[in-house]
Amino acid sequence: MEGNVIRAARYPFLPEAREFVSRHIDLSLESLDKTGSEAALKRAVERVKDALILKEVRVTPQHESNYVREMLSFPLAIILVSAISNEYIRRIYSLGESRGAYKRMLRENDETLLFIGERLGVRGIMDNNGFIKISIPTYLNLAYVFHEHRWKLVNRIVDKGYVWVSRTEYARLIQVEVNNYVYEKTLEPIPVTVVPQRLKEAMKTIIETWNKLEESKPSHAISEEAGENPPCISRILKRMEAGENTSHFERLVIATFMIAKGKDIEEIIELFSKQPDYKYNITKYQVEHLSGLRGGGKKYSVPSCRTILANGLCYPDEKCKGVKHPLGYGGRSIGGKPRVS
Amino acid sequence: MVAGVLEASLEFLKREFFKYYYENLDRLVPPGPIGKREFGFFLDKKGGMLRHKCFNNLKDFHEFVLKEIPLDIYVSAARYEDPGNRDMGEKKLIDAELFFDIDAESAALDSDESAWICLKCGKYDYGIKEKCPACGSDIEYLETVNEEQLNKALKETDKLVRILTDDFGINSNSIHVFFSGNRGYHVHVNQEEFLSLTAESRRELVDYLLIQGFEEKKLIEVLRKKSLIINDLKGVIGRIYRRVLDSISSGKNEVVYTKSRLLKYINQAIEELKVRIDPVVTIDTHRLMRMPNSINSNSGMAKRAIELKKLLSFNPLREAVVLGEGEVIVKVKIAPRFKLCGRTFGPFKDEEVELPAYAAAYIVCKGMGEYAGG
Ligand code: SF4
Ligand SMILES: [Zn+2]
Repeated sequence: MEGNVIRAARYPFLPEAREFVSRHIDLSLESLDKTGSEAALKRAVERVKDALILKEVRVTPQHESNYVREMLSFPLAIILVSAISNEYIRRIYSLGESRGAYKRMLRENDETLLFIGERLGVRGIMDNNGFIKISIPTYLNLAYVFHEHRWKLVNRIVDKGYVWVSRTEYARLIQVEVNNYVYEKTLEPIPVTVVPQRLKEAMKTIIETWNKLEESKPSHAISEEAGENPPCISRILKRMEAGENTSHFERLVIATFMIAKGKDIEEIIELFSKQPDYKYNITKYQVEHLSGLRGGGKKYSVPSCRTILANGLCYPDEKCKGVKHPLGYGGRSIGGKPRVS
Repeated sequence: MVAGVLEASLEFLKREFFKYYYENLDRLVPPGPIGKREFGFFLDKKGGMLRHKCFNNLKDFHEFVLKEIPLDIYVSAARYEDPGNRDMGEKKLIDAELFFDIDAESAALDSDESAWICLKCGKYDYGIKEKCPACGSDIEYLETVNEEQLNKALKETDKLVRILTDDFGINSNSIHVFFSGNRGYHVHVNQEEFLSLTAESRRELVDYLLIQGFEEKKLIEVLRKKSLIINDLKGVIGRIYRRVLDSISSGKNEVVYTKSRLLKYINQAIEELKVRIDPVVTIDTHRLMRMPNSINSNSGMAKRAIELKKLLSFNPLREAVVLGEGEVIVKVKIAPRFKLCGRTFGPFKDEEVELPAYAAAYIVCKGMGEYAGG
């Protein structure tokens, strides 16, 4: 019993944590003002701040031992984030929870790791060599966030509907699921019409922290004109346009995004022409490489929102809500010619 | 079907199509549930496609078919909340079958096995030309369905089915293979766990089948160090690995294998092992698929289901011929030799010939001639 409760406190998104909370605690927001859930609310604020500042929600043994507070703080944090209704905070909070969970999962034994996966719908079966097999659809639905070649199905051992992954990779996939789960939760409307005073105060602290962080960031004037490109892309394009030196990752994002959009190689090279270190031939080589025209025809995929966020380059706007991949921005609705076969 | 057929030809086709549909309505059953599917039709070749159609039940659909006698009938691979909505986003995708298309490559054969027609001046002849010799404009090939190429496509289809079952673990009851009625094969997969895959995930399946994005480097390491147990290499990596080992052992017993030599073997193996599907089709969850057992107006043959067990012995040019055998007259401009139902027809040029309706329809559908009575 004790162990299970600790586990639920360590992974408060597990169904048993939810059950525990609903069985033992009155979570109606109205009661929040009356009952002294102060401590839990404080911890909830800490969770979100951890995510904002460290991009990782830390859970220490001390936290775990206070398991009621710990478990309760998670749904409260969700309510806070959902009520603040800021797309960036939603995303960074989900990322933070999932990252923290990932690190903790790596330290678990096989049995616990498999148990967590199972409970989250990422069922894994361990073979004699310590590798874990998971079903192909489950794998594909999670692995899409990683753009490295080794995650491609074609580079995996595949048999009879299963994909083999290592323990660490399995934890990574569960992390994606946790990220998705938390994010979806924060999109749900909060269960009351009138937000209690204490919650409002907690929200204010979080927003203040966010504002401070924003101020310290380099300018990121997002173009007003609502283009069809997602804001992360527009922002890098602007920087390039202004001749600012962009990082390797920023360039990768732009090149792969434009390739995926079917832009001409020459057009893409042109985008890089104001970079301080611009050399036509080198840029051409790199763009062709990414597009699969060189180096064995491996086309690079566009990094997912999650990866872009983790690299500090996500500046979401309203239209980003629910978007998991920059290519999905603005809801790809394709009219025009009917496509038949 | 080539645009611009004469009214009489269109009437002839519709008459023949009607007979077929009237007698085979019970075979014209779209994948269910019918109320969640979008339908598309070509009613005549001048207008565009009539799409975003939906039907509440099979009876309404059948009535529509008999009334309009469409030249082509399509149904969505996807199921939607609101299939009739004209806005793709508003249709609200529920899920979609996995859909694969393998086309026979065109066999550009010289002599009277192929023919061309000029889109501008209307000149035509046998053989292959780059441009119209009379006016220099672009030309169009009048392609017949080439048996040999179809057989190759069928072998690819067999390869596909094997990977679907062996690697992807798809139950053979969930795999439905069809001859498209003209130049290729379709495979529909309706296994539950695969229906809700996103376009991105479908792309991964496509890359797996086409062996795109394969990391040769790793395999080269394995090959050089032999660091892995061979039997454990399952899936496409394993197949490439074993194929390369075969190449090595059949080689001249060279002692060292350079990286470039191994890379060459790997690329050869990939060429052999990849399945030549059309990637765009599989990734596109909004695709409209030709309706099983409907007539393909590019040939007058029907899209036909093939039993998995008899896959490789399927004879499309016999089993997909569904139109009547009554003789009619067609005025042929030019038609390369073609085979249907075990009979060889043509070549014809500037002549009126009497042919069974199915062969006449074939000529009309391919734009090689016009109906002239009978
Ligand atoms: S598309 Fe994704 S990564 Fe880009 S700004 Fe929107 S949410 Fe962030
Ligand atoms: Zn001409």
